[in-house]
Amino acid sequence: MENQLSMEQVFQKLGDLKQFFIFGQKIVPLFKKIIDFMTDIVPLLENVNNSIQDTTSKMPKAAHQINSVTNATEIATSEILDIVDSMSMDMTKIKNELEDMKNGFLNQRVALDKLINEYPSLNGRLEELKSALVIDELESKVVGLENVIQKIENDITNITISLQVQDITAQQLASVNHLIDSVQKRLSSLLFDFNKQDGLQIPHFEEIHEHKKPFNPNAKYDRNHDMQKVADELINGNNKTSQEEIDKLFGK
Amino acid sequence: MALKFLVVDDSVTMRRIVANSLKSIGYDNFVEAADGKEALSKLNSDDSINFVITDWNMPEVSGLELVKAIRSNEKTQSLPILMVTTRGLKEDILEALQAKVNNYIVKPFTPQTLREKIEQILASS
Repeated sequence: MENQLSMEQVFQKLGDLKQFFIFGQKIVPLFKKIIDFMTDIVPLLENVNNSIQDTTSKMPKAAHQINSVTNATEIATSEILDIVDSMSMDMTKIKNELEDMKNGFLNQRVALDKLINEYPSLNGRLEELKSALVIDELESKVVGLENVIQKIENDITNITISLQVQDITAQQLASVNHLIDSVQKRLSSLLFDFNKQDGLQIPHFEEIHEHKKPFNPNAKYDRNHDMQKVADELINGNNKTSQEEIDKLFGK
Repeated sequence: MALKFLVVDDSVTMRRIVANSLKSIGYDNFVEAADGKEALSKLNSDDSINFVITDWNMPEVSGLELVKAIRSNEKTQSLPILMVTTRGLKEDILEALQAKVNNYIVKPFTPQTLREKIEQILASS
């Protein structure tokens, strides 16, 4: 009886062993796959590490180049503004000259009318002279030129408005530089930890020493002036801003 | 009373554009400052300045800090202040109003808008 019980236990153990081998047959290919994966992934991780090191080392140069772009556009904008100023001054001169010409035409007309009244016998000759002087025609040409100058002045104003894009893009670029700075710090920290754990040499990266221009991260070039409309509504009290909203904003 | 403007902006381009716009609408008396710190120094040394046009994002002392400093100084607290900035979010505008700016322009602006805001401020003061 006792022997029969022992044999049952042996068979049960053999059954467990059989299950273990069946499980082993299933799990071995999985282990093999994991080992293959690790064999593949290690060089890949090395590559990622090298790539991050390479990218991180290039970031100060990228930040510097972005600042160079900002400086170059500022210089170029200043040069355009010089030209715009010069054009504005020229337009003012031309406007004054045209005004003088209009006054001259008026004076000529008045003088001729006066002569016509004073010397009726010369009336026909004076009318001929008046006609030959084509005062009306010249005057309308002057008015035409004044309209052209008005258009040029409007164009100059529009150029000035458009040049404000330089300040807006400078802030957008400063925002990008800030992001690059943050990413570089994060990557440097990751590489520091990674290399330290593996006993590798800890890479040293050049810090981004670019001039930190204050910026508005939401700066955008909005020629529809939608944001101005919001500002006007708030200032004129037409915008429904609850006291609760204001208190929340100012942390009361 | 003749107006003398103090134009405060860290961008050379914007200072020139504001100055040109002022000239185009008939105001040619102005001085410039590159940040809030320089602006406070100019306000301290030049009593004839009677109108401030300021940007918001500037180094040293920001435009908002400048507004608060002007409002907290007995000598300058009643100066008209017009803020000209890229900050156009509702909360930004409310924050500027809370600091007691008299009016607010979001860049890019036109000389016409500048004229309207100056006239509105002058009419209400």
